[in-house]
Amino acid sequence: MPDIKEVQTEFKPKILAFCCNWCAYAGADLAGVSRFQMPTNVRVIRVMCSGRVPPELVIRALANGLDGVMILGCHPGDCHYSEGNYLTRRRAHVLKRLLSYIGIEPERFQLRWVSAAEGAKFSAVVKEATDKITALGPNRWVDKK
Amino acid sequence: MAAPRIGVFICHCGTNIGGIVDVPEVVDYAKKLPYVVHAEANLYTCSEEGISAIKEAIKEYDLNRVVVASCTPRTHQPLFRNACADAGLNPYLFEFVNIREHCSWIHMHDRREATEKAKELVKMGVAKARWLEAQEEFESGVYPAAMVIGGGVAGMSAALNLANQGFEVHLVEKEPELGGRLLKLNRIFTINKAPDELVDSMVKAVQGHSKIKLHMPAVVKAASGYIGNFDVSIDEDGQETSVKVGVIIVATGAQVLEPELYSYGKLDNVLTQLGLEQRLKDGKLGEFQNVVMINCVGARIPERPYCSRLCCMTAIKNAALMKEINPKAQVYVLHRDLMTYGVEFEEYYRKAREAGVRFIRYTLSNPPQVMGAKRVEAVKVYDELMDMEVELSCNLLVLATPLIPNADNEELSKMLKVPIGDGGFFLEAHVKLRPVEFAMDGIYVAGSCRWPADIKESIAQGYAAASEAAIPLRQGAVRVEAITATVDPKTCKGCGTCVLVCPFDAIELKESKIKGLEGKIVSEVNAALCKGCGLCAAACPNRAIQQRGFTDMQLLSMVNALSGKR
Amino acid sequence: MKTSSKEVQDSVKKLFEDGRISHFIGYEAGSDSLRVTPCFLKSGQTVSRLVWNPLCANNLAKYLLDLRKVEGKVGILVKGCDSRSVVELLKENQIERDRVFIVGVPCSGIVDGEKLLAVLGISPGDVVAVEDGGDAFLVTTREGKRRVRKEQVLRGECLVCRYPTPVIYDVLLGEAIPSLPWVRDDYSLVRELEELSAEEKARYWNRELSQCIRCYACRNVCPVCNCPECIFDKKAPRWLSKANDISENLVYHLIRAFHVAGKCVDCGECERACPMGIPLRRLNKKVEKDLLELFGYTAGIDVEQQPPLTKYQVGDLDEFL
Repeated sequence: MPDIKEVQTEFKPKILAFCCNWCAYAGADLAGVSRFQMPTNVRVIRVMCSGRVPPELVIRALANGLDGVMILGCHPGDCHYSEGNYLTRRRAHVLKRLLSYIGIEPERFQLRWVSAAEGAKFSAVVKEATDKITALGPNRWVDKK
Repeated sequence: MAAPRIGVFICHCGTNIGGIVDVPEVVDYAKKLPYVVHAEANLYTCSEEGISAIKEAIKEYDLNRVVVASCTPRTHQPLFRNACADAGLNPYLFEFVNIREHCSWIHMHDRREATEKAKELVKMGVAKARWLEAQEEFESGVYPAAMVIGGGVAGMSAALNLANQGFEVHLVEKEPELGGRLLKLNRIFTINKAPDELVDSMVKAVQGHSKIKLHMPAVVKAASGYIGNFDVSIDEDGQETSVKVGVIIVATGAQVLEPELYSYGKLDNVLTQLGLEQRLKDGKLGEFQNVVMINCVGARIPERPYCSRLCCMTAIKNAALMKEINPKAQVYVLHRDLMTYGVEFEEYYRKAREAGVRFIRYTLSNPPQVMGAKRVEAVKVYDELMDMEVELSCNLLVLATPLIPNADNEELSKMLKVPIGDGGFFLEAHVKLRPVEFAMDGIYVAGSCRWPADIKESIAQGYAAASEAAIPLRQGAVRVEAITATVDPKTCKGCGTCVLVCPFDAIELKESKIKGLEGKIVSEVNAALCKGCGLCAAACPNRAIQQRGFTDMQLLSMVNALSGKR
Repeated sequence: MKTSSKEVQDSVKKLFEDGRISHFIGYEAGSDSLRVTPCFLKSGQTVSRLVWNPLCANNLAKYLLDLRKVEGKVGILVKGCDSRSVVELLKENQIERDRVFIVGVPCSGIVDGEKLLAVLGISPGDVVAVEDGGDAFLVTTREGKRRVRKEQVLRGECLVCRYPTPVIYDVLLGEAIPSLPWVRDDYSLVRELEELSAEEKARYWNRELSQCIRCYACRNVCPVCNCPECIFDKKAPRWLSKANDISENLVYHLIRAFHVAGKCVDCGECERACPMGIPLRRLNKKVEKDLLELFGYTAGIDVEQQPPLTKYQVGDLDEFL
């Protein structure tokens, strides 16, 4: 059990977002260019396609103690590689359910679609994830050591 | 491999980054990161000064990895990679960290947190950089010939354009005559002239061109290969021939819908607009008094939701012409919305109204009704603007039907591995940014096979596709960014998962020729086809296939760095 | 289990005699009368060693991988579940269809030895033989014959088995069994857990996985875990820390569940091999259930069926906006 002091200090979740180069990363760039202000909790790793992100990386990130992991890709039908995000979607459905099955709150793993034109959406996704995960509290996985 | 010696360059970007993020603090932090032997701040790393700072530091500190923390790789990666290359460092030993768009610009009100985040982003970049490897870009030659599929106005424009640039062109037309849909038209909007002049001059130019090899009537039977190196087999009048080309332009056009509406095909005074033009052209229309035209027949309905773009103008053209032939005739156009965009089209529409053509708006929920047993005698329509039903005497009913995709689009799409969209038309790589290219490199699209296009648009698209196609032809070689997949044949078990997920058919199972593994079935990547998406790397059960520049090692190192693990 | 050991022996003998196989993988009596072990024959001379009875739990498909390099054709005895693993191995190009000769036996359930002893209140030494008696097992003990209702003592996977008859074979010994009468809800084990709160689920798996000693027996016994170098054994990158704590155990079991997703046929070997009694089937069954519900996919039915995570449909469920 965490002691009371720990509970009282402000919890600032650390969230990882894998962004595909063509849509989500560009959307994040646009959010920056548009100066949309958002919480500082999310860190982006650029991949060429959301389909490059294997479940192992998501599982590893959560097990390492990160409070949330997001995969952000092109909207269905818009994948630069025509079908990568559809494969991502299938995997994410299974992974999300599996994580929930072992007691990881579903909010801690998200797949979201952000186009290159959706700077505002990127910012909204960051805010929403930060809010939800802050409300959940620290990732319980780290208690398992 | 020499021990990593990483140099980190943190950009102030004037005040864009430096005004928010405490850059000196990030530099100090970077200096303490593993394998970092040098870190410095630059006012603008992308300036001449910044670039030379990178080059000098590479020499002075014997750097074998460079990390720049500044703006976005989407715009500046080539610049910094070139800087590395100029200083003798393989450009793939460069890593980009985005602390402007992804940090200072979006956290302007929290300098402390922005600085902490910048530090962490740099830490992640350095962690990845440690595992970067030098890469060689794949280069393959481009066979200096093009194939254009479709001898309509778009295809002929593309073929002439390329041939005039000096490239050999194979033009494949499935009909025994060049000209496509244009051959059937009576007049062309907005110039109201017969198309013959236009078609004839183009056909003559094509037929007389020494660089154009005409295959007609001929169809594509099979295609394989990749940009620069396609083998296309065509059936020409029953004879199969194989043609080698570097690029392919698809310009196969579309066809006009034959509707099953408004008694078309049952009553003999019901025609499509195209049927009307045919009769006018052949001089077989005969007498007529009252003409009713209905637009959007079989278009903009749930099963065919798109606007075909040409039919409104066609209806206006022919309505005005009917009025011209018989000024006493009553000519009505029943439409749902008139699409007469731009100056010329709107003007054309206005002139038709001045000539006495009447336009009535109907709704999809309340379509016109055809009256008459053997011939159409009247059309009843609910006039939306007048809010009343009117009955129009009619002895010629003309239906404007949309262009629909060719039936063989799907077959061709499979052969060329280029996508078709929901409606059955071909689908370009990007609706705005890459309008005449397919996602598959080296294949381009023009004209109505993509989307209903008028003559001017078809010609423009033909030229556009030709100019895109000329780039690899002119360059003579294509280079592929070295982020393609590679296989470790030792651990590959030949299960074929990567083959299944690859969207580009870039991976094949083959017998290994590597010493010690002879005969083992393993995956092999064709670098010319690989687009570097990394789908295979994520799907391989034991990671025997990796994406260069985005390896498991590199990505996992970033995750570990972020979460404070080594 | 209408098919007798004798029928298996005769059939295999004939296969050797006709030169149709050079090797055979089957079962023989084990160290005690509640156990059988895999048995490898190289000639028809020793077929009398072969047995077929309700104790033949092992999924022999895995051994096909060990015999890939031998001369001639390898014969193998498969139950329904084993045959589905064979299908998966064929799909993954790990074996060649024309290099194996598949002898199928319809199976109406395998005994869980521990359950049997508990129900009868006896010790392993007391059991002389176990035979199939339709809806019950006929157990010969030192005291005499006893009849035990199958549902009481079947292995967990047999309680939910939908494929008692092999889905692929060259010869089928005995009559096909279309379905097993006790199979009703395939996923009650999974649903029970799904209905718990996140807290309770975490507690459950913490408890179970805290026992894992990471001996990798579950992986080593699994027919579809057949990578030449498992990612958990790779030194770089290291996906799993050597630390044996619950967190790392969880990483191991989740990734493994994902790696066998769409290939696991619920043969139950992982759970049977686990020295700590961890309910691993509950993890694999969850993925199996989701693949079925999401994509209508069942593993090990058809060699031509493409694995569910290597393809997609545009109209797949999209709960991500």
